[in-house]
Amino acid sequence: MSHVNATTFTIVVILFLFVTFIGFAAAHWRRADDMMHLNEWGLGGRGFGTFITWFLLGGDLYTAYTFIAVPALVFGAGSIGFFAVSYTIMAFPVAFIFLPRLWSICRVHNYVTPADFIRGRYGSRGMSLAMAFTGILALMPYIALQLVGIQSVLTVMGVGTSSNNTFIQDLPLVIAFLVLAIFTYVSGLRAPAAISFVKDTLIYVFVLVAVFYIPTRLGGWGHIFGTAQHHFTSINPETHKPYGTFIPTQHAVGSTQLDFASLALGSAMALFLYPHIVTGALASKRRKYIKRNMSLLPAYSILLGLIALFGYMAITDPVTAANVKKSGNAQLAVPYLFQHMFPPWFAGIAFAGIIIGALVPAAIMAIAAANLFTRNIFKEFFKPDASPVLETKMSQWASLVVKIGALLFAIELPHTFSINLQLLGGVWILQVFPMLVGGLYTRWFHRWALLAGWLAGMLYGTIAAYNVKNATTSHWASSSDIVFGHTVYIGLTALVINAVVATLLTLVFKATKAPEGTDETLPHQYTADPEDLPAPAPAGVGLGTAAD
Amino acid sequence: MAASSSAPRGPQDSTITQVKSPVAAHPITSAAIAVLITASILGTLIVPIYARITPKIGDWPFFYFYLIAYIPVAAIILWVVALLQRRLQQPADGGDGAAR
Repeated sequence: MSHVNATTFTIVVILFLFVTFIGFAAAHWRRADDMMHLNEWGLGGRGFGTFITWFLLGGDLYTAYTFIAVPALVFGAGSIGFFAVSYTIMAFPVAFIFLPRLWSICRVHNYVTPADFIRGRYGSRGMSLAMAFTGILALMPYIALQLVGIQSVLTVMGVGTSSNNTFIQDLPLVIAFLVLAIFTYVSGLRAPAAISFVKDTLIYVFVLVAVFYIPTRLGGWGHIFGTAQHHFTSINPETHKPYGTFIPTQHAVGSTQLDFASLALGSAMALFLYPHIVTGALASKRRKYIKRNMSLLPAYSILLGLIALFGYMAITDPVTAANVKKSGNAQLAVPYLFQHMFPPWFAGIAFAGIIIGALVPAAIMAIAAANLFTRNIFKEFFKPDASPVLETKMSQWASLVVKIGALLFAIELPHTFSINLQLLGGVWILQVFPMLVGGLYTRWFHRWALLAGWLAGMLYGTIAAYNVKNATTSHWASSSDIVFGHTVYIGLTALVINAVVATLLTLVFKATKAPEGTDETLPHQYTADPEDLPAPAPAGVGLGTAAD
Repeated sequence: MAASSSAPRGPQDSTITQVKSPVAAHPITSAAIAVLITASILGTLIVPIYARITPKIGDWPFFYFYLIAYIPVAAIILWVVALLQRRLQQPADGGDGAAR
């Protein structure tokens, strides 16, 4: 570890130990009488107010990977990377429409996962399995990418890279992840909720400092934008095309405006379908806290917009640009920029912010995936009489398995692979839109038709994404492909196919009078705002004895 | 409130709770909510309105300035929508109104 800066390293370690302590201590925060219930472990007691919900959802939506990947995309391709800003603007009005309804119905019926709702709404085990499967599938690479975010910081810090032994190389990552796995096991959703305070404070501080300080070092915003514009309009000698676009264009050079808009819209619609975001939202105590947060959370979007501009700063700073070019990995743009621009102690704070920023969403994702597995696969298909205690234990273990799986994923597979899978994750999760959001408003769609539409969307999305190629790769080159001569986000095309199939088959099934399934929800429950949790559903046997 | 207590009946008479549809009770407020939410989405979805370099705001090309400046605008719109929805909750007939 010869190139490791001692100051930077020490600060990162101290902050990491600090959040580890918080993670374990969180088990005692707002403690309930009976912790062995999924409402407690998996949803933090369903009692978070506006303020905690803001931190928790903020920590959940804006992951370390966002902080690394968005500027990396801006660094590599220019304005198309700003689709992320557009999408985080649109995500909140879109969620404002349906998220309060989802919260209410889940609150009234004590649903823990989105698949629980689908089960209750359509009386269909197949559909709830489809939702659980899609959710877990989309979450696994997302968790792995949080590790990729940590790795890129560790690489720039020089931790582990000086050794040729792969075990030693990955050791810091393994340690960080084991700690994460254990405190999630112990504290459940309370751990990421508590840690998100630290994470967000660090991130707000380093982003604001960076945005005001770095331009003074690089000759001002005029120079930064000027350099970026010059870079992206010049011709890449290898591809004979411009390096990227400085402003989305209407021509077929690089990214087009339609590509930008469809990526933004598709991602915005997908964002609040992710099970980990639903988990964060369901942990809120009241319906109005969710609505209020839809106008408070955009504060993070401003942060994201500024972070995206780090990509242009990295282009403008010759040392950073050269470092990134040498490593051949655009994901390192932000860490290299901070390392070169900041004094070591402040770089330590920024790096710790990114690393902790990976732990919070990774924990929530693992909890969400574990809840899906326990409620909608284990309990539904293997042990229908599982007690709340058994459910909670199962979820705790499942969260460990999910995390270890993600760790192997991140270590064993090439990074581009997990990035591609994450792009696919967005395409996949978008395919539950008709059954989940549609189901919040209408039972018109037939359950079998929705299932068929989901399958069609999943298949089209996967195959289309596989077939996208560019100059350097033959598959998985991007998440957009060409439909009728326009470059469009695959997820959105797949969603249209999905909706068309679901609509047509609904007409067929209705005509043939196929069984509709029972609906256990009532119209007024979608707007209810109960202050108290409903009594835990009687699970039959083995209710946990209250300790203390 | 603005809507009269003799507002037209809600579309679903058969609902178990017999709640008058808030949308039918407050048509103007409901329309305003729909327009505001749609507008907040379209303002960033229609890329041609802001995909340009000029006019520059300070050193910032218009595209980048617009995207960042639009974030608080969209947030304020949603805040107003939440306030308007609270008006919807106040039932025109004095009963126990449902949200939205």
